[in-house]
Amino acid sequence: MNLSKARNLFVSLATILILLSMGGNVSPVYASPTIGTVQKASGMAAVVRQGQTISATVGLEIRENDTLRTGPDGSIGVIFSDDTLLSLGPESALVIDKFVFAPREGKFSIALRMIRGTAAYLSGLISKLAPDSAHFETPSASIGIRGTKFVVRVEGK
Amino acid sequence: MRQWRNVLFVLIFLCLLIGCGAHRAKRDLIVLLPDQNGKGGVITVTTQGGSQILDKPGYGIEVEDLNKPPVAPKPVEEKEVNDVFVPALSALPDRASRFILFILYFEHNTTKLTHESSDLLSGVQKTIKSRNSNEVYVVGHTDLVGTEAYNVDLSSRRANYVRDLLLSRGIKPKTLFVSFYGKARPLVPTKDEVPEPRNRRVEVIVR
Repeated sequence: MNLSKARNLFVSLATILILLSMGGNVSPVYASPTIGTVQKASGMAAVVRQGQTISATVGLEIRENDTLRTGPDGSIGVIFSDDTLLSLGPESALVIDKFVFAPREGKFSIALRMIRGTAAYLSGLISKLAPDSAHFETPSASIGIRGTKFVVRVEGK
Repeated sequence: MRQWRNVLFVLIFLCLLIGCGAHRAKRDLIVLLPDQNGKGGVITVTTQGGSQILDKPGYGIEVEDLNKPPVAPKPVEEKEVNDVFVPALSALPDRASRFILFILYFEHNTTKLTHESSDLLSGVQKTIKSRNSNEVYVVGHTDLVGTEAYNVDLSSRRANYVRDLLLSRGIKPKTLFVSFYGKARPLVPTKDEVPEPRNRRVEVIVR
């Protein structure tokens, strides 16, 4: 009995030590890092995260897999951590499928998916450092971005 | 006569049903705009039917259907851009500059900077100092000529060479983060063993 308790304690301690030794690499899935912030918001504008709709206000943090959404009078402007700028006009929706900006690891990737509406995009560092890793999808086309400013309209169903 | 009128009614009804002319096909529209330097970049628009390159500011590409190739770029009236995109464009945040990027290029198979890149160094130094930056990434790369191991070593020497140059210009060691990737991350993708000056580089990213 005492022996098995001692063994359990040892196993727990060992696990903690191993986890500690892995340093910052142990990060729970739900705590995905901030990849940008809302800089402008007007009218009905929201961020949908894991099924929850959060009303967009200036300063709201953006995460990977967030959906940006606006109503008939809404607009939203976001700045990503690599200085990419993105904004949506009214009646628009866009999913941030992927965003990786890790200069220390040399990892760069951005993938945005427009569902409907209008958007404006001004590329940041990712397009300059890894030109083949910046993508903007619409329901019918894929846009490869090599450092530029452009606007997109997608006529929804 | 009455028969013709019936036919007409049927036609009108069909038009309403299927959208007859008045209803435009659903189209994606992509318009390239000049950036703040008045230059435009390059974007490629690809569907399952094909692909188009858009490299002239003020030109746009329409996509009707994912199975059809995108329509060739055409100039888009400023008025049309404004009509459609003003709400989105006015929501675009002001230009950010959390990072400043410098790309320094090297002579083939050396740690010798090109003349143009040597001239950039004082700008790099000034930027680090004026931003009071404590986070500067120095990232070494090579082109695809030679073995992986050799190029990892070459990219390491290039990155550390730039690090040393910055140290000698008074930048503090703890602000500099050096990494290197050999031939693994070309800026301009090429086939193996292809010499490409634009891939012989060290990126300096100043926060």
